[in-house]
Amino acid sequence: MTHKGVGEGRELTAETLARVEGEGAMRVVVRDGLVSDVELRIYEPPRFFEAMLRGRGHTEPPDLTSRICGICPVAYEMSACRAIEDACGVGVPEDVALMRRLLYCGEWIESHTLHVYLLHAPDFLGYPGAIELAADHPDVVERGLRLKKAGNALMTLVGGRAVHPVNVKVGGFYRFPTPAELGVLRRELQGALEDALATVTMASGFEFPDFEQDHEYVSLRTDGDYPIEAGSFVTSSGHAFGVDAFGEWISEEHVPHSNALHARLRDAGPYVVGPLARYSLNHDRLPPTARQAADAAGLGPTCRNPFRSIVVRAVEIVVACEEALRIIDRWSDGTSTHAAPSVEVPARAGVGHGATEAPRGTLYQRYELAADGTVVDAQIVPPTSQNQASIESDLRGFVQHRLHLDTEELTRQCEQAIRNYDPCISCATHFLDLTVDAR
Amino acid sequence: MTALVVGIGNGSRGDDAVGPVVAERVARLGLAGVEVVTHEEPLALVEHLAGHEDVVVVDAVRSGVVRPGAVHVIHAGAAPLPRDPVALGSNRLGSHGLGVIEAVELARALGRLPRRLTLVGVEASELGVGAAMSAPVREGLDDAVRAVVDSLREEAGL
Repeated sequence: MTHKGVGEGRELTAETLARVEGEGAMRVVVRDGLVSDVELRIYEPPRFFEAMLRGRGHTEPPDLTSRICGICPVAYEMSACRAIEDACGVGVPEDVALMRRLLYCGEWIESHTLHVYLLHAPDFLGYPGAIELAADHPDVVERGLRLKKAGNALMTLVGGRAVHPVNVKVGGFYRFPTPAELGVLRRELQGALEDALATVTMASGFEFPDFEQDHEYVSLRTDGDYPIEAGSFVTSSGHAFGVDAFGEWISEEHVPHSNALHARLRDAGPYVVGPLARYSLNHDRLPPTARQAADAAGLGPTCRNPFRSIVVRAVEIVVACEEALRIIDRWSDGTSTHAAPSVEVPARAGVGHGATEAPRGTLYQRYELAADGTVVDAQIVPPTSQNQASIESDLRGFVQHRLHLDTEELTRQCEQAIRNYDPCISCATHFLDLTVDAR
Repeated sequence: MTALVVGIGNGSRGDDAVGPVVAERVARLGLAGVEVVTHEEPLALVEHLAGHEDVVVVDAVRSGVVRPGAVHVIHAGAAPLPRDPVALGSNRLGSHGLGVIEAVELARALGRLPRRLTLVGVEASELGVGAAMSAPVREGLDDAVRAVVDSLREEAGL
């Protein structure tokens, strides 16, 4: 980090923003004691992949889009599968839907655990990073790694491989795991549930700045379960719309300082997707153990402090463990073990939409297919591009009330504020340069 | 106990693919007692480092001080690895908040380091999304495979 005089003011720079997945850049401009501008360049939408998808066959998008992100490949696959199946007018049977939810639980466990323990917890415990945290509290980091490993085991068994699952295809899976394999996994997940509950207890004991934000929340919602692999849209201002109406409700606008598009909700402007939105719009859908854990952690039915997202993420790890155990038990009790692992998805001309809840928030994809299944057009709207405008808005208010802090501390707190959203920037840009430009 | 070769990198990002590509070439050699895995996420290393005596990690690096395709060999000893941009697998290189160096140091803090750990880095130039591996790095693949095999032989006393 450098600190050099510029005229009568100062210019503050940090070379990298640590512990955010990937790289990007942030610039805060302060004039006459007021924050005049915040620019975040953390994320570029996967335009390369959209272009690459055009001309491909209709069975290819799940595998190709899974390569966009090393942290959330399942989210890309699942949204792609749903969009292609929608375009072809095919619904999958319940056992395929259940197995998809189970696989997705693995990704939630792994991604949330990575963020909670290795990226975000050091902020709250006063360590520069996970290595220093591990030196003083090996038991804490070991618990995180154990949880992450359980998520990995689940993704490897159901998805075929922990990163870029190869067992997923349009219409279902190449094979279902056997009850014996699920039985072995169940034991590991039982331990993971205990670790997840301990994670909620740990996170709820952290100190949080008083920073309630009045963001518009957008999430999927289902008739019964906490939204993961399915649902239709609801918003905190009371709107509800189908996945196929995404384009009517949400527009993406170019902003000058970034290659990214900023998403806007009709009549509302910037909005937030992700754990805080999901939780606040689906508190009544939490499974029982997660609900108890949320209550014990002092989370109300809604959560509006982005810094408390670490507690909500921990509760969602409980959701994922609890749901995974429920699905495995139901699977073993039922007849689905003999069911075909996939259905045929014959090509036809049409447009299809798919949205699922990636760990970081709703991930939407839209495909236009020709009669032979060739992809004519593809659109991918990941969660981070939807959250970017709200992160900037948070930083504006956050920095304004902390201008008295020294450079190093202000920079550190800005980084923590960005990490609240677990931005996934690994998909596109390199190198985050943080600049606080105070004049 | 077997030796382990871990290739780290993203196959969709130009020269970042070099770790997995080198690891796969080593796998095809079918060396006895050598297990090979590939990962995109460097933190996966922490899980792999425990349980093996001899581990070789292959990753793309960008030091800027040598030509693309050149091979760096670093032995992780008693001292922590330098966490600066010229070091192998630093978090300034990859698409990861936590890079290979951080994964190794995290494993060290938790007492999970193998008895012998070698990092083989291949100097990268092209890291764009969707880019192909650059010609200099393709030409350096044989050197990198040789560096991995030499490291394994050294340990086996061959």
